[in-house]
Amino acid sequence: MTQTQTASRPKPFVFPQFCKGCGRCIEVCPKDCIHLAGEIDPRTGLVPVEVDLEACNGCGLCITACPEPYGLQPQPPGAGFELQDPEQLFGARPTAAPEPVDLPDRTLPLPELEPLVVKGNYAAAIGALLAGCRHVYGYPITPSTEGAELMAKVLPGLDGVFLQAVSEVATVNLMYGCGGAGVRSMTFTSSPGFSLMLEGISYMIGAEVPGVFVNVMRGGPGLGNIGPEQADIKLVCRGLGHGNTHAIVLAPSTPQEMLDLTMLAFELTFRYRNPVVLVGDGYLGQMTGRVKLPSRMVVPGRPAWAVYGDREHRRNLICSIELVEADLEQHNRRLLAKYDEMTAREQRADTFHCKDAETLVVACNTPAQIAKGAVQELRERGVRVGLFRPVTLWPFPVDKLLPLLPRVERIVVVEASPGQLEDELRLALSHAGVFKPPLIEHVRRYGGVLPGHAEIVRQVLAAQEVTS
Amino acid sequence: MTTSVFYGRFERHAHGEGLKGLTTHYCPGCGHGLAHKYLAEAIDELGIQDRTVAISPVGCSVFLYYYFDVGNSQAAHGRAPAVAVGHKTANPDSIVISYQGDGDLASIGLAEIVSTAQLGIPISVIFVNNAIYGMTGGQMAPTTLMGQKSATSPAGRVELMGQPLRMAEMMAGLDGPVYVERVALYDAKQRTRAKKAIKKALTCQVEHKGFAFVEVLSECPTHLGMTPQEAERWVAEQMTQVYPLGVKKDLAEASYPALPRPAYEVERLVAAIAATAERPERFAEGFPAHLDPRDVSLKLAGAGGDGAQTAAMLITRAAIQEGFDSTHIPSYGPESRGGTSYADVHVAREEVLSPAAPQPHVLIAFNAPSLAKFGPTVRAGGQVIYDSSVIKEVPALAPGVRAHGVPMTQIASDLGRVLVKNVVALGALQAATGLLPKESLLAAIRLALKDKCAMIPLNEEAFEWGVRSVTLH
Repeated sequence: MTQTQTASRPKPFVFPQFCKGCGRCIEVCPKDCIHLAGEIDPRTGLVPVEVDLEACNGCGLCITACPEPYGLQPQPPGAGFELQDPEQLFGARPTAAPEPVDLPDRTLPLPELEPLVVKGNYAAAIGALLAGCRHVYGYPITPSTEGAELMAKVLPGLDGVFLQAVSEVATVNLMYGCGGAGVRSMTFTSSPGFSLMLEGISYMIGAEVPGVFVNVMRGGPGLGNIGPEQADIKLVCRGLGHGNTHAIVLAPSTPQEMLDLTMLAFELTFRYRNPVVLVGDGYLGQMTGRVKLPSRMVVPGRPAWAVYGDREHRRNLICSIELVEADLEQHNRRLLAKYDEMTAREQRADTFHCKDAETLVVACNTPAQIAKGAVQELRERGVRVGLFRPVTLWPFPVDKLLPLLPRVERIVVVEASPGQLEDELRLALSHAGVFKPPLIEHVRRYGGVLPGHAEIVRQVLAAQEVTS
Repeated sequence: MTTSVFYGRFERHAHGEGLKGLTTHYCPGCGHGLAHKYLAEAIDELGIQDRTVAISPVGCSVFLYYYFDVGNSQAAHGRAPAVAVGHKTANPDSIVISYQGDGDLASIGLAEIVSTAQLGIPISVIFVNNAIYGMTGGQMAPTTLMGQKSATSPAGRVELMGQPLRMAEMMAGLDGPVYVERVALYDAKQRTRAKKAIKKALTCQVEHKGFAFVEVLSECPTHLGMTPQEAERWVAEQMTQVYPLGVKKDLAEASYPALPRPAYEVERLVAAIAATAERPERFAEGFPAHLDPRDVSLKLAGAGGDGAQTAAMLITRAAIQEGFDSTHIPSYGPESRGGTSYADVHVAREEVLSPAAPQPHVLIAFNAPSLAKFGPTVRAGGQVIYDSSVIKEVPALAPGVRAHGVPMTQIASDLGRVLVKNVVALGALQAATGLLPKESLLAAIRLALKDKCAMIPLNEEAFEWGVRSVTLH
């Protein structure tokens, strides 16, 4: 090695406060230039190394052996390192990445199209495509699988991605990644699969990652069966994984709404940077019906917060960990404020013959459609009955319900679950300060059985007799 | 060796206050710092800082995002490879790195790493194996050596706790990965190799070759209860015995298929969902009010394979083409073939309200159990159409219910294709009930067979036989 080369190679230096004294550099130095200092550095409580440059030939092995980003450094050329201070050497540099900005969504007009005749699951898939979703991850599970199958069939032709994951656990984390990149993604699943996704949904809520979950609920608990049930209402409204979580829950009742509400779900999931859950039941997923198409389709933009993997978004972070308690409390406050905003702005309900109703049937999903038939029949028999159908289960549309209550003598909750919808209703009334609600009765079936038209008629008439 | 891939100040590390703004959270002598450094240098040298998305795992390296001035995403325990694939598929131009420890990757995240590796998608996995759980405080890892003491193997790992998992060899045994190497950090030579391997793993992604995996044998002096130098020696002497270093797989010529970039074109979308602007021809004079003023319900029941669902679907399509509302709900057993198969259909003047059909106006029964089960549910004045080839006995029906025995199976097999018995049933339905005009159902059948035109005449004939078998009675 010539004298010139040696001279051109920078020698190391280290600020003792950035040295943890691990000694990896000591061991690797062929010239024994480095040794531990005699005493503890009071700033770190550790014994740093000291470098004696007398014998150093600038081989650089010590620098490569130092695990600290700002530990052993090559001396900057032309400057005595004594004069360097850490701020100047590696202090805050202006990041080269520009400030990211929101790239808004666009829409394109669709030609006037004939209604489709499709299953509810297909309708939701088509709704997602129209909403600009081109990334679908999933794991097959009856009775939701047709959604994934349709996506697997059509997405390649749209240069989109359908990926069958190793499990529902992987599915939700694929969505976490895709959503974290600011890109629309969704999955189709059913109750047991949805249970598996809860961990990831908690992370998505914590890290504020959008994504749409279509949960075509089936009979439980455990493996249960593939019949229609509404037994995940508690889960989607109150139990989205660990921590203080909530998500908007949409409950369609027809194939048409499977499409319309899936489109809405994408709008809401990006508006709030929070997952949205669409719950159907086995019947609704499998039911074929007439589905009208909207007049426009969405071309997604890109949110400023996305970790897209480009220069503009380099500074961004998707993360649910907040180590400092005060920070996590603050983060929770922000999330809670977001839930409050959703509660104030996103309550949705549909009413049928509710204006002068003395008996109010409350139902969602297919039971609501069955109840609608029952209400129609009862009206023809002169019974003052109406149907109140929550379209958002969370937030429960209590603001739409309250104005109806003064005339209502009885509420009949019709559901394919042993009271999970009724619990949401009671909780919402209680939070709204209604401590003496009308008498609440119910028609409840479960295990894959839906409440029947005749049962609903009977229950309402029984209520009627008692009242009169 | 400073690199601009590390943040100038670690603002996310306790708000960058004091020394934390310029030092890592790692213990003295921890290997993570070196793996970070080589990764940062490789990103720098390849000029991919702007495109890089680093996935932080759960474990000691959960705070990877404190340090790397790249796009950062922090994943749930073990799920980093899935999150990485989410990012890569969302933006194929991004360079995605899944950085994971041994608990994260080789224990809780096994399903994700194995399936992602086999998928072969170009991401780069840096797997730091230090044979111990660090962040939770020194418990046994899947890679803990036999006899090694830990908080959950206090007397040393024994066979009852399973044996150390060799991830690099497992990865190399899969078809998906293009490059797998195990490296170490315990001396200058190994460190040079480690840096080279990490750069190569990134290069595989930059060149879109495929999935790359680098296992880094690393020191955890704290939980090994050793000095950093003892830990280096322990890795060199003990770990490498179980985890031999070296290249495990390297496919030089590999190349991964291009990842799709979504299109948002109206024409392509309309074609993909098979929507059409063409208004179908209508044949019905009006709603079949002779059956019900508002809503006619039907049940079609048989065994799986009888075609009940297809027939139901055709009725629904035809009814909607006529401008009515219609729904079809299938219900079947778990068997793909041969189980029970029932369909509830409604045809409504305006809107189907109750989509189930517990008391249908019309029942089509393809076998005896179906007729026995649903025959008595048909409402008074309704009609039952059953396959008289296989059903010999008709149960008691409600008053005024008319039963039409149609030898569906016989007719279909005479036509040479037993599968068309459901079309025979549709013909019979048409003739018996007048639910929809003949042409309406035939148009739906033809539309369904538009890709199998050769089958149309046979189906038309089957339909006609169904019509005749009722009118001749």
